[in-house]
Formats: sequence, C-alpha cells, structure tokens
Amino acid sequence: MKAALYVHVPFCLRRCTYCDFNTYAGLLELRAAYVAALERELAWWAAEQPELEATTLYFGGGTPSLLTPEQVQAVIAAVRRRFALPEGAEVTLEANPGTVTCSSLESLRRGGVNRLSLGVQSADAAELRLLGRIHTWEEVVAAARAARQAGFDNLSLDLIFGLPGQTLSRWEQTLARVLALEPEHLSLYALTLEPGTPLAERVARGELPEPVPDLAAEMYESASRRLLEAGFWQYEISNWARGAASAQLLWDLPPGGRSEGCGPWVSHHNLAYWRMEPWLGVGAGAYSYLPGSRWRNLPHPADYIAALQAGRSCRVDVEPISHTLALGETMMMGLRLAEGVTDARFRARFGAGLETVYGEVLARFAALGLLEWDGRRVRLTARGRLLGNQVFGAFLL
Amino acid sequence: MDPKHIRNFSIIAHIDHGKSTLADRLLEITGTVDAREMSSHSQVLDSMDLEQEKGVTIKASAVQMHWVAADGEEYALNMIDTPGHVDFSYEVSRALAACEAAILVVDATQGIEAQTLANLYLALENDLEIVPVINKIDLATAQVDKVLLEVAELLGVPLDEVIPVSAKLGTNVEAVLQAIVTQAPPPAADVNAPLRAMIFDSHYDSYKGVVAYVRMREGWVSRKTTMLMMATGAKTEPIEVGIFTPEMLPVERLSAGEVGYIATGLKTVREARVGDTITDAHRPAAVPLAGYQPAKPMVFASLYPSEADDYVNLRDALDKLQLNDAALTFEPESSQALQFGFRCGFLGLFHMEIIQERLEREYDQNLIVTAPSVAYQILLRNGEELEIHRPADLPDPTIVEEVREPWMKVQIITPTDYIGAIMEILRRKRANFLLTETLDTRRVLMTFEVPLAEMVIDLHDRIKSATRGYASMDYAFDSYRPDDLVRVDVLVNKEPVDALAIIVHRDKAYARGSLLIRKMKEVIPRQLFEVPIQAVVGGKILARVNVQALRKDVLAKCYGGDVTRKRKLLEKQKAGKKRMKMLGNVIIPQEAFLAMLRLDED
Ligand SMILES: Nc1nc2c(ncn2[C@@H]2O[C@H](COP(=O)(O)OP(=O)(O)OP(=O)(O)O)[C@@H](O)[C@H]2O)c(=O)[nH]1
Ligand code: SF4
Ligand SMILES: [Mg+2]
Repeated sequence: MKAALYVHVPFCLRRCTYCDFNTYAGLLELRAAYVAALERELAWWAAEQPELEATTLYFGGGTPSLLTPEQVQAVIAAVRRRFALPEGAEVTLEANPGTVTCSSLESLRRGGVNRLSLGVQSADAAELRLLGRIHTWEEVVAAARAARQAGFDNLSLDLIFGLPGQTLSRWEQTLARVLALEPEHLSLYALTLEPGTPLAERVARGELPEPVPDLAAEMYESASRRLLEAGFWQYEISNWARGAASAQLLWDLPPGGRSEGCGPWVSHHNLAYWRMEPWLGVGAGAYSYLPGSRWRNLPHPADYIAALQAGRSCRVDVEPISHTLALGETMMMGLRLAEGVTDARFRARFGAGLETVYGEVLARFAALGLLEWDGRRVRLTARGRLLGNQVFGAFLL
Repeated sequence: MDPKHIRNFSIIAHIDHGKSTLADRLLEITGTVDAREMSSHSQVLDSMDLEQEKGVTIKASAVQMHWVAADGEEYALNMIDTPGHVDFSYEVSRALAACEAAILVVDATQGIEAQTLANLYLALENDLEIVPVINKIDLATAQVDKVLLEVAELLGVPLDEVIPVSAKLGTNVEAVLQAIVTQAPPPAADVNAPLRAMIFDSHYDSYKGVVAYVRMREGWVSRKTTMLMMATGAKTEPIEVGIFTPEMLPVERLSAGEVGYIATGLKTVREARVGDTITDAHRPAAVPLAGYQPAKPMVFASLYPSEADDYVNLRDALDKLQLNDAALTFEPESSQALQFGFRCGFLGLFHMEIIQERLEREYDQNLIVTAPSVAYQILLRNGEELEIHRPADLPDPTIVEEVREPWMKVQIITPTDYIGAIMEILRRKRANFLLTETLDTRRVLMTFEVPLAEMVIDLHDRIKSATRGYASMDYAFDSYRPDDLVRVDVLVNKEPVDALAIIVHRDKAYARGSLLIRKMKEVIPRQLFEVPIQAVVGGKILARVNVQALRKDVLAKCYGGDVTRKRKLLEKQKAGKKRMKMLGNVIIPQEAFLAMLRLDED
C-alpha cells in the first residue's frame, strides 16, 4: 500500500497568539529523545506494515526547523530505508524564518529536503507582533534568500488574512511584498479565532475588534485576482501554485482536469489528504488514516516518548471510518480542490455513482449556484469556494 | 392514626427565602431523610433536575414526617413545600387548601417582600393558622430584630411568637416543629363518614396510571375501595394507596385527616382531574368538596414540534405534563408558517419557560416556541364578542368596534431610593400609577395598573435590574379595557408569517415594528440569498430590513489532522439547523420567534 508520510515536530520557541496546534514551548531538551522515538515508531510501522511505501514525506509542526539538520536527515534516512521513499519524491519541511540560517538551510537541502514551507503570516511589523510571531519581515526576506542560495527551488509561503483591525490595503501590501519573493507556492488562510487562544480572548474581551467576515471575503477575492495575474493556479480553497501555463479564470481547472496539471509546484503531500488517500502520521499527536480507520498518537511529546520507550502503543482516539463516513469525508475534502470529485474515481472507490448517492444534494446546490455538476465531475463554483461549509455539511450522511 | 395526632401544613414565602432549605432541616430532625443523604443533596424536595439546576421550587411537594413532641406524643406531620415564584401561586393555593396551617418564612436579610404578602393573604383566605419564621439569621447582613418587628406587626402577634432560625445551619428549627404541633389545629376529620378525598395534584406513571395526590377529608380508602370520581364519573379500584416519605410508600389505608396518594390506574387526565373529589362508589358522599378555581392562563404562546412528524408525540407529552401542572392549558392550532402545533396558556413567562424546558427534557421534544401574547376581547361592529389568543386571529379592522386587553394590578415593594427608577420604567409601559404606601422608614409599596401585554415583555427583569434586586413584585388580573390596538404583521422574504404577528398600541406600532424586525435580523443567520424582513400594519409597510446574503463560510485550513474535528464541527452545525424552522427557503432559528421579548426601547 502507498501512503503519504507525515512527521510531526511538536516544538516551538514560543506559542503564537492564534495557535491551537499540538505544539509546546519550552520542551526543546526533549528533541534527541523525541527523534529516537520517531525512529522507533517508524521501525514499528515497518514491521507492522512491511508493504507500506511512502510517496511523499512532510515535516510539519510545531516548528520542524527546530530540529538540527542532522536530526532531520536521520529521520529522512529512516523513511527512505524502511518505506522505500522514491528518489526525487517530495520532502517538505515547515520552517520558521526566525530559526533558520544559511548553513542550516544548506544542510537541510543536502540532507534531502526539497521543498521548504516558510511560515510568514504577514509582511507587516505590527501584525507580526499581534500574531506573536518570533520573527520580523526582514528575517523572512533573509530566510527566503538563504533558501534560494541553499538550492531550494520549491519554496512555499504561508500567510494569514482577516486579522482583527486589518485593512484591505494592508493585506494587499503584504501580498505584494510576498510575491516579490517569487515563491512557487502560497497558502493563504483566513484567520479562525480558535477558542482559548490569547488572540480569541483579547477579541472576546473587546480589546481587539472582531474580524469582519465580509472583509475577509473581499481580501480573499482580491488575493485570488492578484494571484491569477501573477500566474498562480488556485488548486485548493486556500492553496495556490505557480503554473507552467497560466490559468485564464479564477478557480480554473488545470490542464487534464487534475491538480498536477497546474504544474510541478502543487503540494503532492497535501493532495493525498484532500483526495482522502491513505496517510501515516508519526510523532506526538499525529493523525493517520489507513483504509477503515483513523487515529491519533498521544499528543504530549513526553507521553509519546515514554510510550515508545516502553514499547507501548501510542495510538489513541481510534475511529473506525465506515463506508458512510468515508463517503462524506471524501466529499468534504475533495470539494476543496479545483479538480473536485470525479464520478469515475468516486465509483471506483465506493462502487456507486455520485448521482445515486448524492443526486438530491447535487441538484440543490447546483441550483443555488454553489456547485458545478456536469454528470462527470462535481466541484465548487467560484462563489461556492467561499461558502464551502454550507455545502460540505449536506454531504455528511 | 387518630386525627388529633395529625398536623397538615405548608411552607410559604417569597421566592428564595429558604422554604426548601427549612424543609430539609425538618426532614432531617424528624429522621425522615437521613443526614448523610442530605449532605450530598440540598433541597431534597426539589426533586426535578430543573429545580435543582435553577435552585427554584416549581412543584409543591408533600411529605409525611413523624415526630415526638414535647408532650411525649408522636405526631404525623404532613408538610407541603411550595414554590415562591408568582407564576406558581396556583400551586401554592392548592397546597394551602389541603392544610390547616402554614409556616410563613421571611428572609432576615430581605424582610417582607411582595410574595410574602401575596402568599400570606392566600393562607388567610384559607383560614390557616400562621407560624411566622425569620430565616437566615446566620448571615452577617441579617437584620433579625428589625424583621422580627416587621413580621410581628404584619400579623398582629407578640414578638416572641416569631421564630428566628437558620435553616441552613439548623439553628432553632425544632421550635418550628413544636409550634406547628401546639398552634396548628388537628384536622377536622370524620373517619366514619362516607369517603371524600380532594385531589390537589397528580402525576402520570406509566405503570400506575394517574397518581392522585389527595387530602383525605372524610372516611378512608384502601386498595379494596371502588372509587368514584365525583365530577367525571369515572370508577376504578386503586392500584396502590400510600404516603410520601418523600418517596411513594404504599400503606394499607389512608384515613380522614391524612395527606397521601392514590394510584388510580386511570390512563387519562380527563378521568381524574385536579380539584375533583374521590368518593366510595358503594357508599358515595352526597356532595363533592368545593373544587379549586381553575387557573386562568394569562399568557399564550404556541408550541410547534420542530419536525412536523412529532406532532402526536407533542400532544401526548402535553397531556401528561398537564396532569402534573394543572395550570397549563392547550388546544390544537395550525399556522401557515409552522403547520400543526398547540396554543398553550401559561400563568406567566417563567411558567412558560419551565413548561418548555420540561417538555424538552422530560419528554424529549424539540420545540419551536412563538412569542407570548395575551388574550384579547374583541367587540365586532355587529355586536358579537369574541376572545382571541393569538394576534393573527385579530379580525379585519373594518369589522372591529373595539379591542380590549387585560390589565393587571401590580404591586411593587421597593427601597425608597428606587422610586424614581420604577416610575420611569412603568411610565414606558403605559401604566397608571395608583398609590404609594409607606411600609417602614426605608421601603414603600407602590401600586400600578399595567397592560399585561406590556408586562410580559420584561417588566420583572427591568425592575430587578434597576433596583439591583431589592424590589419585589406581585401582580393579579384586574380587568379588560379597550384601547387603540393594531396588529403588526411581519413578512419574511415577502411572505407573512402568522406566528410573528404582534398586537400593539397604535402609537407604538412603528417603534415596536421596526425594532422587532431589527431584533430578528440579529438572530436570523445570513442565508445564501438576501432575505428582506418587513413590518406591516393594515397592508402598509412600516419598516424594512435586509438580512444580507452570506458571503463567507468556509474552513480555511483542512489537512489530514483536521478531518475528524472539522467533520464533527459540520455535523454539529447540521444538528443546530434542526433547531431551526424552514419558512419557504428561509431558515429561522427559535430565537427569532422570541425577538419580541427583547424589545427594550432604549
Ligand atoms: N445563609 C443561609 N442561607 C440560606 C438559609 N436558608 C436558605 N438559604 C439559602 O437561600 C437560597 C434559597 O433557598 P431555598 O430553600 O431554595 O429557597 P426557597 O424559598 O425554597 O426558594 P423557591 O422555592 O425558589 O421559592 C439557597 O441558596 C439556600 O442555601 C439560611 O438559613 N442561611
Ligand atoms: S510557530 Fe506555528 S506551531 Fe508554533 S506556535 Fe506559532 S503558529 Fe503554532
Ligand atoms: Mg423551594
């Protein structure tokens, strides 16, 4: 079986104000033991599923760039050895611009990382402070330059918009500055105020203005237009890749009707999630999905390390994924993509056509102008991209 | 038991003055409920979850205790704990009719309040012996001497007859029991006369049928008795007779003077009604006991199942609930917008809220509740008169001569500092101010007349907040009076929604109508298209607002680790939509129907 392989690195220097990920500040001394535990978990899986082959490898976090290049390299080597990760397969590492240097980037590149995803979030000093980021815009620019020098030809940048008090022009300025760095890939995320985060609490206390959803919609649409002009394909609700050929329209379908048609820079690893193909996650709190079930690892790195040291299972929250759930999830994830869900693939997977399973829902949302359904492929319309939640829910049976 | 050794009494007070807590202590010192059980559970007689959660008694509940008094004799003490909230005074009045005495509890930190007086007068109307008690003397803010004096003066009794206690700590509560034994008269009870038992409450049990709570007036009843319900004519043999301990405990027989229950086995409310007299079919009494005045609902609202299929379930639930809540009335109705449901009558807004919650919890109903309205009397041009219970039924103005609305007499006890604030609130409610009486140096009793329709909205809350909780309020129906009243219709997406119509004074039609639709706009979620909402009087549009079309609702980030969480989020949203109603294409949440309750005009 082929699967995308995810490695979680749950360490950060300081927690950002909006972040509710499974990550911890102040646990850096666990790194060595953590990497050893990762290697154990990989070994365990190799024994458990000898047929498993990794298609892509992705270091996510947290802040994976807090591992030493040697530690990253050791994990990559273990994956290559045990899961036959092909030469040239996509190996992504998420990096915080405040934690990289020319030499660390060079070592990472030499060690096998071929795609770098930098968490930029904003080009504005005040916004970076609001978000509690540990780096400045200048450090972002330096990190991007260093990445190029180190030989990274596949650079992705993450941005957040719709911040409390953010104006449309300030957002457009951030985007312009970021485009000047000529990334191959961009992820633009509308801010979600996650309950319990310091940012959400400041908004709740009235210290910061409530983000305005309609303004966020305008920012999104303005960015979509700007990126179209700049030669990017939007292949997912929040993801753009620079294209070999150019898209003609917003939310255009790439040549061949598959995301890969957008060019070489789409995130192949993430495509596996949206297509609900199997993935194996290792590390604290990582989720995995192999046919029939999904689970999570113990979230706290100390618990995770202890379990692996003791040879105990670190799996928790195992959720059987029934046929019915799988149908709904396939739609919920697949409709995020410009390529949508094709009847042929759906049929191959579930043994029944889209019309049979979802005829009424498809007709209803097509009539509302949120879905495009031609009997062979269903996907969101340009308007539907902004209203996905109104649509996805209807597909959960 | 010899009636000489029986005492029947209620505990009455203003809300929160400590009736149920005092009942706890009495249960404890009589050994009825053991102290261990008590420590894990306060207000044991508040047995409904809802009562425990809200810390408020909703149902009167009866219990029998045994206690050896100072004279060395053992007495059976039947106690009924009552609710303090004004909406439940019907419960109190029926409880009082089953007793010879009442413990009047007054909070030493608050003094006499509006329901202290209201419930005291109820007790006096029933010729009950009053045992006055000052509670919460353990609190630092207690003004024991002052409140003692107040209460002694009110009742015209010597100071030493008022018993100071701390129900919480148990201080001096034995004196209360002793006072009951010595001061309360034993029930006048003739065990040899033909059976007459008064049904003062009931509940439904799926095995035992209607369980009637009875005060035995004459004769006795056992499982062998063939009973006759004197009003309905239903005949049956009890499945069980017993007493409350507070659990139901079967006994051989119940005799005159006692309080207990009879499980009738009857399956419907209509056969064994609260207020009916039970007699022996083989040796019937000549005349029934005087029944209760049926409760007169003042506030009406419609209940609709959120899914039409649940209509029959809702009817069954209302049927059963009515057994346990004699003040609830309901009749089927249909609405263009909401299809089939029930128009229900309540004694007040709190009563309505409680019924709604009980239906949802105890009977698992998913409800849409419309805004409360009052009953209007209509005089038509042709001389015909009718009463309507919902605004949509107001006939065409061209055939209406006069519309009359109910007015209430409202009494408010307040510290003098807040007189101005209260006057201002009442002025905005079209109230007439009648008089102010001085209660003591610090407090006055103010009397107003207020249209009930104005009162239901939020009078009680406003007075509470304007006076930081220091004022208390009581009210009773006064009369129907004509006024210039019009119906404001609400159109959602151009379609009139009958359940949203309101009747208001013509002078307020514009202000209320436009405020109503603005409030609705706040709670109606943005939909996939723009939804206009209009307020209309007699076909003329007063005001309009638009619920803008939804532009953005999407999860920005959704990767492998998010699938489960995001799916659950969507599932929850979907379940949330079930609590909403589809009107045509428009989804309307429950709150929109109650927007009218939030019409504070400042
Ligand atoms: N300190 C103190 N608190 C008391 C005393 N008696 C009652 N309380 C508190 O007062 C509050 C109200 O008591 P309840 O016994 O529920 O009052 P109630 O009169 O039955 O209230 P309703 O049934 O809602 O009318 C509770 O929080 C009790 O703990 C007392 O003697 N001392
Ligand atoms: S760097 Fe990323 S993972 Fe770490 S705290 Fe900030 S947002 Fe969260
Ligand atoms: Mg109580």
